[in-house]
Amino acid sequence: MALKTIGTYEFPSRSRQELYGEDMLVHVWWKDNPMFCAAATFRAPQAMSWADFRAAIVDPWASSDPDYDASHDFSWGLDGAPFTPEPGTSLADLGIGHKHTVSFWG
Amino acid sequence: MTATPTRPARKLSMKARYSALTRDLDWEPSYVSSEEMFPYTSFEGIKIHDWSKWEDPFRLTVDAYYKYQAEKDKRLYAVLDGFAQSQGHLSLSQASYLNAMKIFLGGVTPLEYQAHRNFAFLSRHFNGPGPRFAALCQSQDEIRHAQTEIHTLSNYNKYYSGMHSFLKQHDRVWYMSVPKSYFDDALSAGPFEFLIAIGFSFEYLLTNLLFVPFMSGASFNGDLPTMTFGFSAQSDESRHMTLGLEAIKFLLEQDEDNVPIVQEWVDKWFWRGYRVAAIVAQMLDYMLPKPVMSWKEAFELYFEKQMLEGLFPDLEYYGIKPPRHVQQAIDEKEALSHFVYWVFYNFSFAANFTTSIPSKEHQAWLAENYPDTFVEYFQKPRWDKAQRIVDNGGRFFFMGLPQLCQVCQIPMTFPEPGDLTTICQRTSDYNGEHFNLCSDGCKWIFDREPEKYVQAWLPVHQIYQGNCGGPTVPDVLAWYGMQEGDGGEIAGSRDEVNWAAWHGTPAAKEA
Repeated sequence: MALKTIGTYEFPSRSRQELYGEDMLVHVWWKDNPMFCAAATFRAPQAMSWADFRAAIVDPWASSDPDYDASHDFSWGLDGAPFTPEPGTSLADLGIGHKHTVSFWG
Repeated sequence: MTATPTRPARKLSMKARYSALTRDLDWEPSYVSSEEMFPYTSFEGIKIHDWSKWEDPFRLTVDAYYKYQAEKDKRLYAVLDGFAQSQGHLSLSQASYLNAMKIFLGGVTPLEYQAHRNFAFLSRHFNGPGPRFAALCQSQDEIRHAQTEIHTLSNYNKYYSGMHSFLKQHDRVWYMSVPKSYFDDALSAGPFEFLIAIGFSFEYLLTNLLFVPFMSGASFNGDLPTMTFGFSAQSDESRHMTLGLEAIKFLLEQDEDNVPIVQEWVDKWFWRGYRVAAIVAQMLDYMLPKPVMSWKEAFELYFEKQMLEGLFPDLEYYGIKPPRHVQQAIDEKEALSHFVYWVFYNFSFAANFTTSIPSKEHQAWLAENYPDTFVEYFQKPRWDKAQRIVDNGGRFFFMGLPQLCQVCQIPMTFPEPGDLTTICQRTSDYNGEHFNLCSDGCKWIFDREPEKYVQAWLPVHQIYQGNCGGPTVPDVLAWYGMQEGDGGEIAGSRDEVNWAAWHGTPAAKEA
């Protein structure tokens, strides 16, 4: 339904991608670890390779849990669909968009 | 000529005084149209045919109103003085009790002030003198509540952490954006939606659930000033409840076309208010050293029994159904507080209050009150592991920023319906942009008015845009106005160490 207003009502999103320049926000959700109360939000360059994203961003965060083992073979998902990360491919080329959610488990 | 003896003026009855001093002061505009005089009461689609049908059961007049309120203030300030003079800050159940009040001061008190502002607006902009006057009284109540809450808690600020910058923190701190954005949503709505949002949903439907737990918690934990404040506000609150109920009935009786509009507002504002109440849930179950009642018990009494069984059968006569998504709230009652306190345990390094693993006795109380959920879903997978980390010399914190819901702004922690082991994630795409929502309730609200919620000032996104003091946690905490000792873990916190020193307990000698 249309918003009922007293005048023209057009305002830009306060979280739109262009506000982050060449970067974007990516959510990472460790699905079967209840220690993390929610998925995390990170700011990362769209051109960053998966390997760099994993090593520089995901691993330090997941290490909040002392049982995290970066060499473990996790299963991955992107917005609920199965997902196969390629270490040398950029986040954008892997199809990860602004404010989308990458998940892992297993 | 004989002078006619003047008869002494007879005192008017309350009803006649009310009529003379409120409704008789109304007039029909002659040199502007009523649309020009009251420009905001038609765009929402609500139809009012006869404003005089608004009933005000209290029939207060301005002089009587100020007389009552002045008397209540005198009683409250006498208690505050006595408490301060007798070193009352030492007689709390525990220093950690004040965590509940730190949340109240930053999260709730500024809302009282915002309510004051908008009811003042309504007291100008409603066409009818009855609702204008009711709104005027409520506007005055709300500013009195804001002031007396600040004065009530200010004595603690001399001795305890986390209360020194509550107004700034209301505008800036991540979890404060939950109550703040809730109220901003109402303030930016039309006058009738505000009346249903705050007058009805907040002040009637959820008021006992939001307000009573804080005041009972105060009474059980030696906080005489807050308890006295609660009594002082109680008679106002019952007037607000009456106003809220009168408001919804008035709208429903004026025109059948109002019914579907009001129903959608009830649906939206129940869910918005219920999500804010999640903060109360964790307070009730985890933050009170001497618990009063569980969230589940409070929800069953104040919401299921009083509202779903009491109020909604009456509203059915007008064609109003219980709020959409209410079943989800009922299903969550066994788990809500545990999820939300766990969020705070994860992130209290960035808050103005402290958290800790509940004591063994407290966990036993939780297990007793939540026999189907606490041990299996929260104690074993979360608290036991958090304890192991502490035993090894650590403390679990979430070393990052959480994914937030675009509508309620709470970290997306809530469970998938029927599955307490999976986080519920919903999404919506609008104008080519991807949005994340914590529940079917928040998604329904987003999809109804996406133009509004795309503007949300989400703390996490703002930090990453560089709008919150800088890129590091210390930068952001400095911008929040946090001081050493405000947040983090209870054990070893400044408040705990001071408390032990003041009471001469062994911990103080070690510290």
